[in-house]
Amino acid sequence: MFGGGRAPILVLSQNTKRESGRKVQLENINAGKQIADVIRTCLGPQAMLKMLMDPMGGIVMTNDGNAILREITVQHPAAKSMIEIARTQDEEVGDGTTSVIVLAGEMLAAGEQFLHQNMHPTVIIRQYKEALEDMVTLLEGPLSVPIDRNDKAALANVVKGCIGTKFIGRWSDIAVNIALDAVNTVLIEDNGRTEVDIKRYAKVEKIPGGSVEESQILRGVMVNKDVTHPKMKRYIQNPRIMLLDCSLEYKKGESQTNVEITAETDFTRLLELEEEHVRRQCDEIIALKPDVVFTEKGVSDLAQHFLLKAGISAVRRLRKSDNNRIARACGATIVNRTEELQESDIGTGAGLFEIKKLGDEYFCYITECKNPKACTILLRGASKDILNETERNLQDALQVARNIMLLPKLVPGGGAIEMAVAQKLLQKATHGPYRALAHALEIVPKTLAQNCGANTIRTLTALRAKHANHTDQNSPCTWGIDGESGELVEQTTNGLWEPLAVKLQTYKTAVETAILLLRIDDIVSGSKKKGDKEVARPAEMQKEEQQQQD
Amino acid sequence: MSIFASPLSVAGTRTSGAPVRTQNVMAAASIANIVKSSLGPVGLDKMLVDDIGDVTVTNDGATILRLLEVEHPAAKVLVELAQLQDEEVGDGTTSVVIIAAELLKNADELVKQKIHPTSIISGYRLACKEACRYIQDNLTIPVEELTKACVVNVAKTSMSSKIIGADADLFAAMVVDAANAIKVLDSSKNPLYPIKAVNILKAHGRSARESMLIQGYALNCTVASQAMPKKIVHAKIACLDFSLQKAKMKMGVQVLINDPEKLEAIRARELDITKERIQKILAAGVNVVLVSGGIDDLCLKYFVESGAMGVRRVKKADLKRIAKATGAAFLTSLTNMDGEECFDSSMVGEAAEVVQERISDDELILIKGPKARTAASIILRGPNDFYCDEMERSVHDALCAVKRVLESKSVVAGGGSVEAALSIYLENFATTLSSREQLAIAEFAKSLLVIPKTLAVNAAQDATDLVAKLRAYQNTSQTKADLANLKWVGLDLLEGVVRDNKKAGVLEPTVSKIKSLKFATEAAITILRIDDMIKLDPEQRGDKSYKQAMESGELYD
Repeated sequence: MFGGGRAPILVLSQNTKRESGRKVQLENINAGKQIADVIRTCLGPQAMLKMLMDPMGGIVMTNDGNAILREITVQHPAAKSMIEIARTQDEEVGDGTTSVIVLAGEMLAAGEQFLHQNMHPTVIIRQYKEALEDMVTLLEGPLSVPIDRNDKAALANVVKGCIGTKFIGRWSDIAVNIALDAVNTVLIEDNGRTEVDIKRYAKVEKIPGGSVEESQILRGVMVNKDVTHPKMKRYIQNPRIMLLDCSLEYKKGESQTNVEITAETDFTRLLELEEEHVRRQCDEIIALKPDVVFTEKGVSDLAQHFLLKAGISAVRRLRKSDNNRIARACGATIVNRTEELQESDIGTGAGLFEIKKLGDEYFCYITECKNPKACTILLRGASKDILNETERNLQDALQVARNIMLLPKLVPGGGAIEMAVAQKLLQKATHGPYRALAHALEIVPKTLAQNCGANTIRTLTALRAKHANHTDQNSPCTWGIDGESGELVEQTTNGLWEPLAVKLQTYKTAVETAILLLRIDDIVSGSKKKGDKEVARPAEMQKEEQQQQD
Repeated sequence: MSIFASPLSVAGTRTSGAPVRTQNVMAAASIANIVKSSLGPVGLDKMLVDDIGDVTVTNDGATILRLLEVEHPAAKVLVELAQLQDEEVGDGTTSVVIIAAELLKNADELVKQKIHPTSIISGYRLACKEACRYIQDNLTIPVEELTKACVVNVAKTSMSSKIIGADADLFAAMVVDAANAIKVLDSSKNPLYPIKAVNILKAHGRSARESMLIQGYALNCTVASQAMPKKIVHAKIACLDFSLQKAKMKMGVQVLINDPEKLEAIRARELDITKERIQKILAAGVNVVLVSGGIDDLCLKYFVESGAMGVRRVKKADLKRIAKATGAAFLTSLTNMDGEECFDSSMVGEAAEVVQERISDDELILIKGPKARTAASIILRGPNDFYCDEMERSVHDALCAVKRVLESKSVVAGGGSVEAALSIYLENFATTLSSREQLAIAEFAKSLLVIPKTLAVNAAQDATDLVAKLRAYQNTSQTKADLANLKWVGLDLLEGVVRDNKKAGVLEPTVSKIKSLKFATEAAITILRIDDMIKLDPEQRGDKSYKQAMESGELYD
């Protein structure tokens, strides 16, 4: 054409890399498996912690699947997808982040052999979906047992099971009590809907120092603040609490106002007005005889003076969320304009107001509340890293407790439920991906056995035999693995039980992720994404604005 | 090429004649190759990673091509073609690209046989016109047969190739219900289905099967204050498009006072204006206030005290739809014609229930059972964000397909049936012509077969064998009047056989087929007409040009 060799036609930009076909599918599976391998050792009671260094030089010590994966930077897009599911699991149910990754990795791997046999991915996917549906019906049906929400001992046992695999396992009694109390405190039932808002009303305060044993849950709220004036009372029994979200100082109006002063007395009058304003606000407060005034904004020196004279303690610059918690704990209403204060706005539910010094800082306690609907969990520990890990563990425990409250059903733990489900699925299927998926479930007891150093093959075979002999169709076989010793145990009444919600979510997420990744046959990297950014940005900005507002 | 030898006055390269055409055709073919494997119920997905590492997993042709950085000008035409199909029809983006590329490829063959492009172009035009007419006349399934099951089948067909294909039953019903809920009548009593009115929200967590259709409106907002009620039955809703904030003079307006005492009065007034407004609204019995602007903390107490729900920063578009659905007035201010502020009960919208619900780690406000009109929102759940994004695209495609069917009231059989029928018909039609367009029309007929072929190839079936069978059936249906029912025969890709796709419920909107044929032909013609390409060298300048700035994304920051 041009005499010599023809110049190649460039259709795509040169910095785009494209891979397709079988290679991509196998790579995706590998990426999934690798991610699963990273955190496999974090499963079960014999789990080890991982220490991670982030790019800033900070340290994270954890065995929480989500916390580990969040810190890891991965290149492969499929691995990113895996990491995302840990987050989903964490946000939806709070626990089981490690198992979801391990399971998803194994389910991907189970699909690999069929790809080698030239089976079409859509066929594998369809069977996976079918298996997932069967799993869900099995879990919701015969394989789960209901639990009484008011049975404290049984609840404690479940939460203990969750905590057992974590760093705070050694202090499990304390942690269990904290978790259950906290959830019971913030549980609200109105109009037939149950609301458990842990995020907003069960605040975890970490104070370095002391030991983990000293951690406790308060029947009320604690904030990291001191009274504004040293002479104000620091210990009040049965306080009348007033909550404000306005400042007790002179503030100019929003509109631009100019004052033209013609006489010199006018200027003095202006200054007087400012004083009068503060004075009036204080008078209005004092009229209701509160013992403590909390405000989200500032308190001027003048106002402090008036309040001090009236024997009122004032605490300033509270966070909005803290103010909300105090409001729920003592039954007060947050008021903005002092002239609108009424007797009903005063909170009288608290039994004690107290300022305590912990370490080097002052803390304000509002405790012994009659019917607190909010609480603070006070965590103590040797260092910040330990505290952070303790908090993460406690959050998991809280979530588990909440899940049982919302869906009071349990499944046997320690790999028992996985074995039971696998067994039932195997009875149904004869071949193909459906069967492979059932086998993939066995990764959980297998990993448990591995992590505690038991003989994997022997333990698994024994476990499988136990489950195969189980004939009762209406209750699950409760034989599982004791994660400490590696022996088979029957998880009957006092054994290890897990909330159904966590297991359901784990299976659903794991299978669907496997499906997502198996469907891919082409990876193009280095593509542009301008159009999307424009769309995404305004939404993000609005979100930020909202957060600033809140 | 030296400057002196260049016939152009500016620096650049020029190619013309056959090489240009071949290049263009090659470029088009390579674009089609990229999307080819995502066609059909057994098509697979693509994973696209952008320069900052964000991942998109998709099966939608338009999305794939939009995210690719395509450089070749002819290839860009095809990318725009997919975009056009996406906007016009919403579905069938992959097939339109594949047809266009195949048309080009076959045209190039003809050109190599020394047939002038203009003859090919006129042949293609004629073929396209004839094909569209034939679809309209013979291949559509008429209105009377259009039952709900039929519409559900259309949605299913659109979804079958997507990630939600395995759960098509659930989603198809959801999509059809959603489309029916947003039906409106235009001025001449024709039903319209504004797809944008279906609010699709994504939240990761749970499983895809737990996605929900809400007969009402879902808002991605939370109540302004935690002390407000989270559930209100028999809600009376006010939609306000202004802020309930401390009254403030507009910029540049100054208040000048002489008496210092008045200063205090102004401050008090600032607070009172908003307070009065809120009290007027609450006095009308409103217990849910949706505001597009902000609500100051100082105003929250009034809501809390009267047990009303206040929601701030509701998106304007959402607010407008809620206003329509609940029958509320969309108020930009409270001022009436007399210049006085008032809020009367006619401006209040009603809904059966307004509730704030926790979904995953987030909270949503659901407005259920609006009074004036039905509305629909779909909340999609899935294992991670990529999955949810892809679900959203699939649901959108399905919604578009359903909308087209409901509006145009006719469907055609899918699974390559229409293409095969057309190819037979056009081949016969070509033989009736004695002009030189005959060849082009025959090639057009051949090109259409690329769809059943690709479908079969993706399903790992014997394409040649299947397509031959399919054509045989179609031929019989066109030649023997008593066997005309065979015209619904199409491919069954899971089993690898041919079957009656009308019975099997594989249906597609007629509009989608006709439009995609027309668009593909137009695009192919555009590229065919090119016989010369002049590419200017990029201007070398010290400072950054507008284009460079645009490419490096600086203009967006």
